[in-house]
Amino acid sequence: MFENTKCECGHQNPPDTTLCESCGKPLGEEALSDRPLEMRYDGVARRSQKKNPNLIDRVWNFFSSVKVAVVLIVITLIGATFGTIYPQENTFINFDPSYYEENYGLPGKIYYMLGLSHTYESWWFITLLVMIGASLVICSLDRVLPLYRALSKQQVRKHIQFLTRQRVTYAADLDGDDEEWTRKLGELLGKKRYRVTAEKTALLAEKNRFSRWGPYINHIGLIVFLLAVLARAIPGWQMDQYVGVREGEAVPIPETHYYVKNLDFEVEYYADDELPDRLKGTLRPKRFVTKAELYVCEANCGSTALEPVLRKVKEHDILVNDPLEYKGLKLYQFDYDTTPRLKAIRPVLTDLKSGETYGPFELSILEPEPEYEVGPYRLKLITRFLDFTVNASGEPANLSNQPNAPAFLFLIQGPDLPAEGETFFYFPIPTDRERFGQDLINGEMAERFDIRVTDMANVEFTGDVSYLNVRVDRALPYVFVGAFISLIGLVMGFYWQHRRVWLRIDDGRLTLGAHTNKNWYGLRSEVAAVLRAAGLEADPKSLDNGGRNK
Amino acid sequence: MNWLSISSGAFLAAFALYCVAFLLYVISVIGRKWNNREPAAHTRKWSGIAFVFSSLGLAAHLVFFFARWAGAGHIPTSNMYEFLTLLGMMIMIAFTILYAIYRSPLLGMFALPLTILIIAYAAVFPQEVQPLVPSLQSNWLRLHVTGAALGEAFFAVGFAAGLMYLLRVTDYNDKSAFARRSQFWLEFSLYVLVVVAGFIITVFAFRGAGYEASFLQEELSIDARGNEVMTTRTVEYQLPPIVKPHASEAVSVQPFLGLDRPLFEAPGWMNGVNAGRKFNTVIWSILSGTILYGLLRLIARKPLGAVIHPLLDGIDPDDLDEISYRSIAIGFPIFTLGGLIFAMIWAEQAWGRFWGWDPKEVWALITWLFYSAYLHLRLSRGWHGLKSSWLSVIGFLIVMFTLIGVNLIIAGLHSYAGVS
Repeated sequence: MFENTKCECGHQNPPDTTLCESCGKPLGEEALSDRPLEMRYDGVARRSQKKNPNLIDRVWNFFSSVKVAVVLIVITLIGATFGTIYPQENTFINFDPSYYEENYGLPGKIYYMLGLSHTYESWWFITLLVMIGASLVICSLDRVLPLYRALSKQQVRKHIQFLTRQRVTYAADLDGDDEEWTRKLGELLGKKRYRVTAEKTALLAEKNRFSRWGPYINHIGLIVFLLAVLARAIPGWQMDQYVGVREGEAVPIPETHYYVKNLDFEVEYYADDELPDRLKGTLRPKRFVTKAELYVCEANCGSTALEPVLRKVKEHDILVNDPLEYKGLKLYQFDYDTTPRLKAIRPVLTDLKSGETYGPFELSILEPEPEYEVGPYRLKLITRFLDFTVNASGEPANLSNQPNAPAFLFLIQGPDLPAEGETFFYFPIPTDRERFGQDLINGEMAERFDIRVTDMANVEFTGDVSYLNVRVDRALPYVFVGAFISLIGLVMGFYWQHRRVWLRIDDGRLTLGAHTNKNWYGLRSEVAAVLRAAGLEADPKSLDNGGRNK
Repeated sequence: MNWLSISSGAFLAAFALYCVAFLLYVISVIGRKWNNREPAAHTRKWSGIAFVFSSLGLAAHLVFFFARWAGAGHIPTSNMYEFLTLLGMMIMIAFTILYAIYRSPLLGMFALPLTILIIAYAAVFPQEVQPLVPSLQSNWLRLHVTGAALGEAFFAVGFAAGLMYLLRVTDYNDKSAFARRSQFWLEFSLYVLVVVAGFIITVFAFRGAGYEASFLQEELSIDARGNEVMTTRTVEYQLPPIVKPHASEAVSVQPFLGLDRPLFEAPGWMNGVNAGRKFNTVIWSILSGTILYGLLRLIARKPLGAVIHPLLDGIDPDDLDEISYRSIAIGFPIFTLGGLIFAMIWAEQAWGRFWGWDPKEVWALITWLFYSAYLHLRLSRGWHGLKSSWLSVIGFLIVMFTLIGVNLIIAGLHSYAGVS
């Protein structure tokens, strides 16, 4: 199909241009109306308006639409609300899938089955974010390039219709020389910090063009941000571990060659006179700190037989809001536990038949010896539990690696016992002994032997445990750079406005048109002020062409 | 005389000044039509006086803020009372900026009652200074809260202007289905504002009468390491209990109009801190708000919107639309910085992750997404004026849900301590 796209001013426009790229004369359908002009992107043709689109064009057209972008934003917004109905899986350190049904009944079960318990990691949510990313890129490219072309080659003398159909427009008859008037008005606009280009009796005054690039810079920042967020899925870019370290101990940090040592942990509470009445008597922590040292392991890492070789690389007092940082590794104060726990005990072995008592012997809870000689008897340690429990299949197991409920399984050998020995379970904490039924487990042996701590002087407790959250997030700098670029774009776009004023004087008749991308109120007052300064009668409101984009 | 008593004195002064300024703005708007005067001169004179009073109110509010800061030793932004008074102050700052640009006394007629409502609501929460737990001892947090509040304040002014637009353009003589729908929703919006006022009045009435009831609540929670913990705590009510906390027993209930025991129990899915009490408060608010609304309707004998509509005669709706949009456009970058970027920096320092999909974070993101959709829609034909104003109303609803609703029904890291 042939289409004549040449404007009367002689400029050859690409098809689908709505305002001549050179003189601004309305073209095509735009020429048929007398409403204020649709000035978006200065009426240039965009790639997305191409005729006979192929598949790629169709995809491009889809994502280049602002309407589609808004729909994507709204769907994401609604999708995100689902994830706030119940707590998400990631808020639990030990996640148990039955949580939802147990706590919320059938709705909870459905919630879990629909995968809403991990809304923000679900495929549809990530897809939405990727689609928003595509929309950001394509919307921006589709507009910024033609807009750049249009703004960098603006003609000063515009078509009369272009001026009278601006939203802010003015016309008046002048007395005096046309060129003199043009010069005078140009000077007044210059005082308002406009860049003025005059061409005999026509003039273009423009300011803050840079604000037009604000949205695109904002979008670039958002893309960087989104890419950084997606990059966190790259193996090794992100790590999230928790370690509990007792005072005076060093523990390896999983997934790394580092060890962290807790030299000392302190917690300070608010005194009663610092608290308001309602909170008096409560333990409100004021400050807690782990004096920590970070070591790098150079040999024998993870070996149980050999001592690891450690080299200190950093020391830091870890506070909430003040992590230890070393080469991208960050250790955060997460939690603490000041409950006293057994460290070592010195129990005695009693032969219940003879009434004879042997010992005491030193039994370390955390690092027990493989064998103990107690009187004529030999106690071989078969296994030890720190936090004893009986699991679902009825076997003894550990709940955690904290000595909350220590238990020892000994093999006792000695006089009057079979040569291969007899097993004996020992729970040092009296309530555990009752709770887990030590005497029942031991059967006949319970009538033969007893192991007991006779005096509190024979009990030693461990220090406080500090829980640290160990993180690596290599994407972090990019996340913040993206956010910062985006903010710069927003500020540029919202706190400045691109204003342009065109005017031409034809035989004593002044015609003026002005355009801005935002804040018409400000533009009207500015133009009115300039006109008044030139001695022309103009009320800001009267400049309004009534042209809302309704 | 110490800093804290100066602060509470200044708070009362600010409240009184705002009320006076509100009346003055009303006079400057409706007095135009009084006879024996020239409308333009009347507006100029009275809006000038009103602006002086609202600025004095803001000055007193600033004294309140800084005196409390000096007295507490930390910036007062850490509990509901402090946050809401801060939000009120920020709305006044946003209003003052927009008033300086547009000189519209009408804006004062709508922004001031909003501020008054918010700071009166703030006074419902405990006002004592609370020492900060370690995670709140961060400068980024302070920047986050102040920045977010300022951004939201501009959204609030955008809402006030949007509401004015709707009141201006809704035609109460039009009986078409479309017009009736607009009339209904506009009236509903006004009703919601009356409910908030009803809530505040109820709380202060019962507090003045010294009403008390208390319950013992058992709660099963799961601690950080996955252990189940059973805690028992006492829940104190200051409003008669229509609804009692989930899984609780009454300890003492003062009878009120024959109501001597709760009528029903709060559902278990309400997770927030003291959800039962808050739910009870919501029921009371709706009851008293509805009664208050009914009384207003009895006096006016027509919809409240139809009472306000004629006052706005002769005001260019396009100006209102522009103010609403401009306010939101100014607020958006501030909200992005304060509500999201500073929040991410703080979260990174305190918890080791810049984003954790905590409900409050998600709702801040939803707010941001909503206003970005709004700003994009402003680029399209057909989304100015009416639709845009409705969006500014919905947007503010989302803001208020993020600030208060999330704490009411969803538990999370941001659960502020506070009664009601």
